[in-house]
Amino acid sequence: MAMRQTPLTCSGHTRPVVDLAFSGITPYGYFLISACKDGKPMLRQGDTGDWIGTFLGHKGAVWGATLNKEATKAATAAADFTAKVWDAVSGDEILSLAHKHIVKSVNFTQDSNCLLTGGNDKVLRIYDLSKPEAEPQEIAGHTSAIKKALWCNNDQQILSASEDKTIRLWDRNTKEAVKTLSFEASVSSMEYIADGEILVITYGRTIAFYNAHSLDLIKTVDAPASIHSASLHPDKDFFVAGGDDFKLYKYDYSTKEEMESYKGHFGPVHCVRFSPDGELYASGSEDGTLRLWQTAVGKTYGLWKCVLPEELSSENSDALYCPPPEIKA
Amino acid sequence: MKTPVSVSRLPRGPDPNSRGFDPSSPRYIALCHTTGTDAVHVEEEQRLRTELRERFLRSLILMSNKEVYFSMYERVQVQAKFGASDIDILNFQVSDLQTPLGVQKEAILRCQDIISYSFDL
Repeated sequence: MAMRQTPLTCSGHTRPVVDLAFSGITPYGYFLISACKDGKPMLRQGDTGDWIGTFLGHKGAVWGATLNKEATKAATAAADFTAKVWDAVSGDEILSLAHKHIVKSVNFTQDSNCLLTGGNDKVLRIYDLSKPEAEPQEIAGHTSAIKKALWCNNDQQILSASEDKTIRLWDRNTKEAVKTLSFEASVSSMEYIADGEILVITYGRTIAFYNAHSLDLIKTVDAPASIHSASLHPDKDFFVAGGDDFKLYKYDYSTKEEMESYKGHFGPVHCVRFSPDGELYASGSEDGTLRLWQTAVGKTYGLWKCVLPEELSSENSDALYCPPPEIKA
Repeated sequence: MKTPVSVSRLPRGPDPNSRGFDPSSPRYIALCHTTGTDAVHVEEEQRLRTELRERFLRSLILMSNKEVYFSMYERVQVQAKFGASDIDILNFQVSDLQTPLGVQKEAILRCQDIISYSFDL
C-alpha cells in the first residue's frame, strides 16, 4: 500500500535556516546541527529531530555549522566575524577565532584536530585546535567571497567554492591550487562524499557530480527550479535536492530520473543533507524550520511508525498521531 | 488517496527556559569531563559554595542603614543609604540617593546596572 510522506517539522529557529550538518554515527546515535540567521545554532538528535541544546554566544547570523564525526565538538561560522568551536556535549564555547570579515564555512578534519574556515575575506584558514593561540595557516587565491570550504582526500586537500564562480582544489601542504573548475554562475552548494570520492555541486537548476580527485565531471541533472542544495545517499542510489520552489526532489542517481517531489516548506530550501545511515534526509528553509524526510516512506524509523491498516482503526491507535492533510496557504 | 505515514509523536522543541544540554543525559554523564564528578569533590565544592553564599547574605544584612558607594556603568558613582535587597538580588532599595541631579529620597537601584559597591563596616 503506497504511503504519503509525513515530514517531521523541527521548530525553534526564528529566522531562515541556512546550513545544516550531521555528525557520524556515535554510540548515542547521530546528531544534527543547524545554522540560522537568528544567531543561535541548535543541536538535535539526528533520527528524531528532538532538540538537545542551543549554542549561545554568536552576535550575528550564523552562516555555517558543522559537527565532528563523534559529535563531541561543533564549529560555527558567523556574521560577527568569528568562527567558534563548541563542546557539543555541554554546549560550552571552547574557542572563538577572530576573522576580518563574515565567516561562511567551517569544517573539521577527520581527527578533529584542525578546523578549516572560509568567508568573505576570500582567504582559507587552517587552525590547529591543539594550539589555538598560534596564527592559522592561510591560503589565498580566490578573488571573491568563499561560500564553502571542505577537507577532502584524507584531509590532504581542500575544496573551496567561491562567489568568483570557481571551485578550487588545494594541496594542504604546498597551499597551491591543484585544479580549478570554472562555472557560468556561482555555485550554491557543495557536498563531499569521502566514500567513493564524489563531489556534489549545485548551481542554477543543475546538480552536478564530480570525481573529487580529478575534478572530472561524472554527470549532471537538471531540476525544474533553481536548486540551492543537494545531497547524495550514502549507497549512491539516489540524491535529493531543494531550492527556490520550496519543494524537495528525489532522483534516481543511475538513471537521473525524478522519482518524487515533496511539498512542505513555506519558503525556499537552503540546505539538504542525508543522515549518515541514509534513512532520512533533513532540509533547512527560509521559513525557519528544519524538516526530516524518510528515505523509505512508510518504514518504521525514528518517530515514524509503519502501521498496518487494521491497527489504524483499532483501540491501539491512541498512541499514534496521524497528521491531517496539509493545509495549503 | 495515499495514507500519510503515522508518527508516534512530534520532535521535541527547545525549552524556553534553558539552553539545553541536559547534564543528566547518558551522553553528558559519560562524556563530560567535569572536575570532580566523584562525590567527595562535589561535596567539598558545595560546602564552599554554601559558605560563600552565607557570607554574601550576611554582608547584605550588615549593609542595612549604612552609607554605600556604588560604581555603575557609564562611569556613574553614587552613594546612598542601603535599605534592603529583593529576594533574587535583582534590585536594591536605597534612601537619600546622592545623584548629580540632586538627592533622591527613595530609590531602587537595578543590580544589573551596578558594577561594584563598597561600604565601611
